[in-house]
Amino acid sequence: MGAPIRRGLKAGVIGGLVLVYLAMVGMIAKFDELVLIGTQLTLGLVLLALPPLVAALAAARPRVVGGRIERLGPLEGLAAGVAAGAVSGGVIAAWLVVVDAIGFDRVRSVFVAVSPVLVDVLTFGRGIAAGAVILIVGGAAFGALGGVWRSIRFGLRRPVAIGVGVVLLMAMLQRIVPTILDELNIERDWLYSKVTRGLTWLGAAIVFVVATALAALWLDRRERAAAAPTVEGGRPDTRAIARSIGVVAIVAAAIVLPQLAGSIVSEILGTVGVYVLLALGLNIVTGYAGMLHLGFSAFFLIGAYASALLTGANLVTAFGLVAPRFSAELNFYVSLLIVIVIGAIVGALLAAPVLRLRGDYLAIVTLAFAQIAVILATSNWLQPITGGPQGLRDVTDAPLFGISFQNPRNFYYLVLFFCVIAVYVSWRLAWSRTGRAWNAMREDEQVADAMGVNTSRYKLLGFAIGGAIGAVGGALFSVKVGTVQPGSFEILVSITVLAVVILGGLGSVPGVVVGALVLLGLPGLLSQLEEYRLLIYGGALVAIMILRPQGLIPNVRRSRELQEEERTQDAWQEIFAQKEQAAAEQADAATAAATVEESS
Amino acid sequence: MADVGGVARAGGLGRLERFPLRRIVLVALSAGVLCAVVYGSYKTLTLPEGQAYSASAWRDFIVLGIAQGAVYALIALGYTLVYGILRMINFAHGEVFMAGAFGSYFFADAWKQSGFMDDQPWLSVALLVLLAMAVSLTVAVLLERIAYRPLRGAPRLVPLITAIGASLFLQNTFRGLFGSQTRGYPKPTGLEGTWSILGIPVQKVQVLVLVVAAVAMVALTLFVARTKTGKSMRAAAEDAEIASLMGINVDRVIVTTFVIGGMLAGIAGVLFALTFGNISYFMGFAPGITAFTAAVLGGIGSISGAAIGGLTIGLLQSVGPALLLTGINVPSPFQLKDVVTFLILILVLLFRPGGILGTGEAEKV
Amino acid sequence: MTSLLEVEGVVKHFGGLYALGGLDLYVNEGEIVSVIGPNGAGKSTLFNVTTGLYPPDEGDIRFQGTSLVGLRPNQITKLGIARTFQNVHLFPNMTVLENAMVGQHCRTRSGVFGAILQLPSTRREEQRIRERAKQALGFFGPRLTGYRQDQPAFVLSYANRRRLEMARALATDPKVILLDEPTAGMNPRETLELRDHIVRMRDDLGLTVLVIEHDMRVVKGVSDRVIACDYGRKIAEGTYDEVANDAQVIEAYLGTKAAG
Repeated sequence: MGAPIRRGLKAGVIGGLVLVYLAMVGMIAKFDELVLIGTQLTLGLVLLALPPLVAALAAARPRVVGGRIERLGPLEGLAAGVAAGAVSGGVIAAWLVVVDAIGFDRVRSVFVAVSPVLVDVLTFGRGIAAGAVILIVGGAAFGALGGVWRSIRFGLRRPVAIGVGVVLLMAMLQRIVPTILDELNIERDWLYSKVTRGLTWLGAAIVFVVATALAALWLDRRERAAAAPTVEGGRPDTRAIARSIGVVAIVAAAIVLPQLAGSIVSEILGTVGVYVLLALGLNIVTGYAGMLHLGFSAFFLIGAYASALLTGANLVTAFGLVAPRFSAELNFYVSLLIVIVIGAIVGALLAAPVLRLRGDYLAIVTLAFAQIAVILATSNWLQPITGGPQGLRDVTDAPLFGISFQNPRNFYYLVLFFCVIAVYVSWRLAWSRTGRAWNAMREDEQVADAMGVNTSRYKLLGFAIGGAIGAVGGALFSVKVGTVQPGSFEILVSITVLAVVILGGLGSVPGVVVGALVLLGLPGLLSQLEEYRLLIYGGALVAIMILRPQGLIPNVRRSRELQEEERTQDAWQEIFAQKEQAAAEQADAATAAATVEESS
Repeated sequence: MADVGGVARAGGLGRLERFPLRRIVLVALSAGVLCAVVYGSYKTLTLPEGQAYSASAWRDFIVLGIAQGAVYALIALGYTLVYGILRMINFAHGEVFMAGAFGSYFFADAWKQSGFMDDQPWLSVALLVLLAMAVSLTVAVLLERIAYRPLRGAPRLVPLITAIGASLFLQNTFRGLFGSQTRGYPKPTGLEGTWSILGIPVQKVQVLVLVVAAVAMVALTLFVARTKTGKSMRAAAEDAEIASLMGINVDRVIVTTFVIGGMLAGIAGVLFALTFGNISYFMGFAPGITAFTAAVLGGIGSISGAAIGGLTIGLLQSVGPALLLTGINVPSPFQLKDVVTFLILILVLLFRPGGILGTGEAEKV
Repeated sequence: MTSLLEVEGVVKHFGGLYALGGLDLYVNEGEIVSVIGPNGAGKSTLFNVTTGLYPPDEGDIRFQGTSLVGLRPNQITKLGIARTFQNVHLFPNMTVLENAMVGQHCRTRSGVFGAILQLPSTRREEQRIRERAKQALGFFGPRLTGYRQDQPAFVLSYANRRRLEMARALATDPKVILLDEPTAGMNPRETLELRDHIVRMRDDLGLTVLVIEHDMRVVKGVSDRVIACDYGRKIAEGTYDEVANDAQVIEAYLGTKAAG
């Protein structure tokens, strides 16, 4: 019993330090503003409960000792979990006491986030002593849950986890789902409270039950399907049909959504769409061809400025709006073709001299290019063309048949159209000769070269196609915003796009879309998240690289590997063994026969 | 399967494929850069009286260049040491530098208000440097332990992406902890004004920067050359695997490397804050990239290279824009100083990826 | 008549170490030539210089009369020289079939627009690539075909990885194939099987084969001619028996004069 508790203590200290970090950086207090369920349960409280829970899960996880997997029994797990949770709570409670002793105002003069609100959240409004007790007891309770979690039958705990996840997701989507329900004239007061905007407890319970039941059913079916003997050629067909139905459903939802969800959602989805384009472009460079590109914002910038200048935007100066020294008055869609060509050429030109560099140097050089682009766009030197820090105004609204695309809903459809094209292009390329060459290059550049792949050419091609897609993103962005300012194209854009691609899974097209929805859509919907967006991206990048390098939705190749590992590997190994055995016997027999022949 | 027809279709190469495009591009590029430099300098130096910079202005540019070059050199050492052993670009090193400046700020502020800083300028600066070293060191060691150690032996780009994530994370952590506003870093009154060195008036802060940086460099050089730990660092930089077989604890060496890099970054943080007078959570980015450029310019992995690279970049940043751009009528040339840095980075990587002093790495098959 | 592949006075050094010190050799069309020699004799460097991974410091390498010096590896492969590596280098996360399909890359030409627009010519070519890759995999019998061709390469057994590497080289439709220690790490039965495959590469596929090999049974079984190297120079050449009894060769392997 001693060892599990020791583990629990260790995990608990780490969990507690994480809690202290979350408190001091201001996340807990900020997230407390977002009510998820009822009037009490806020995102801040969820954040407060997570570290003890995760610490307990970690403390009670099975580990390999001396080549054998060692699992904790329910009681041991409980002990480890309670220890972890109580210590987590204890650490934050101790911190609270110490800060109280020093004086909150003095601490606050350095650590700006240690606010009365934070104290209120951490003590549940009941004073330091009571608060500390609640923190420890509450921590122990969540720790206990985490500790025994793995002792619960898989068929039960997985659906419950999914159910909880769905409830939280529904609560986070509080700005979308109620609007849709209203639009569809569905009574929704039982589900979402009008006062807090969060779920009601009744609604949460119903959502939980339904989601859990569905998840259980689905898991059960999947298990049976896996257990059933696979018929050669039979299953891929049904799978392909299911997949096309899925694609049609997603496209239909994407088309209907802004009609129901209101213009704020359209606005956010427009931004998401622009980032999907950027991320699809970067995905070709980094995901397919394996070259880390840290300066993707450069294409975004070039696309936006080129499109604005080609369609007759004006400079902002002290004397009012002035035409830039260089401009044209083209139709937006004509200019878009030029922008695509410019993006491709610039992409290839930037890359051309540095192709022989090793990957990490190439990454830094791309970063340098992007910085140069921003500095030049901001500078007084190019002010007569780029407008300097004020940038360009009066960007075209891309009229088509008299429809303006500056309004959020129309813009959404415009960007959706280009996203669909980009998805199609990405998908076609992935399974083509070109995609194979990129893939080979990503796996091993020298060997790909030795096998006849002209690596320089394919690197250039990757940069050019990525650059073209990125530039389209920039052109659309300029239409959306109506102005072009250098501040919109800082290096953080590059890193955001990189985070989208990596979180989604390098090389995975659906992953990129989901990644953009999560990383840009959620913070757009929930202003509380927006403030900590970059912090979360940074943490997520580190965590993903360490824990799950293949991303949220791994590309097909990767998931295929995982499936193999999960189920079929064992079966196949048996077949292997049998075949090798048979082959060996045959060969032995043959040599035996040969010896007999020779000797005779 | 008998007839594969392997011989049939192996074709010849077109004439174009033998064309040395890359070499031609490189030569054209270098000629263009050379012409631009010569032309720009010529135009600037022959500007009519009144528009031209005075001799004292050039002198100030050079002194400032050397001072900021010394700071860059200290940061560059952090990149170079880590790269030498782990072969990774520690992208978050700029944030380690920022952490040092930030950590010492609160003490500097308190001491300024209590009058301690003005009474004891040297003691307070020395204490600030020590504090900044401690903070930066802690951040650097945590960074190594949490973010980089689990990734030993991963493909090269994985630690780089992690480092970018860590950089973003650290920046925004400091933003969350201490707020997003830019803060003025106090300076002891004893360090205002100038000293006359060889008849040239030099700002006292700049003298301080140079002296501290020089002492730190010499100490580092001696440490690496003379001590046992320093020798194991060099061994690990040559070949970490062999070094570990020879009984060197490579993990410990790596931690030591981060400790040293962190301490130097902390020193640089205080010096930078004293020179430029303000700090913010975003202050690590530009000096970080500049220092990386310095490390590459000097030959990444080489300690003296980092020093030379730092000084070169510092000088080029302060003299270059004025010298090259003023004459050809570019308004506000100093807005473009980072363009100078980045162009140098690109050119160095193009023509001499091993750096001025470096030997370059052979790729293994 | 000139030989198919000629290596003339090639020198390659890394710092002070001379991996190749003026090596001369030739390979005639339809021959199987073995290169033997102790470790560090420069055999793999010979392959790397021939296939363009390193430029030679001096000397010339000609293939069908064309100089290969200064060409990129992919251009040399396109000319018709394919190779395998001493430590197997596959594309581990690509499937077995895709690995072989990469080999066909230099014999095909469809590009980005074809792929996006799904031009009929692109689809036909893709089909052809697939067929040709399957054919190349089929050279090794059932070992790389069937369900196995859709597995990622990293799940293959060691011997199969070597076979896949050879199949990938065959899929480039070469005239000459360079095999770098193809039987290293294989068990005796697999070694014998591979010996037959090397002979079949010439007899059935009409290839010229240059092979680095340590296993003397294989060298004896396949070689028309054997070249022995040491310290980056040729020290003996001839039939297996001639080379095996050469005093210098024995000395190179045993490292003493005792053999004389």
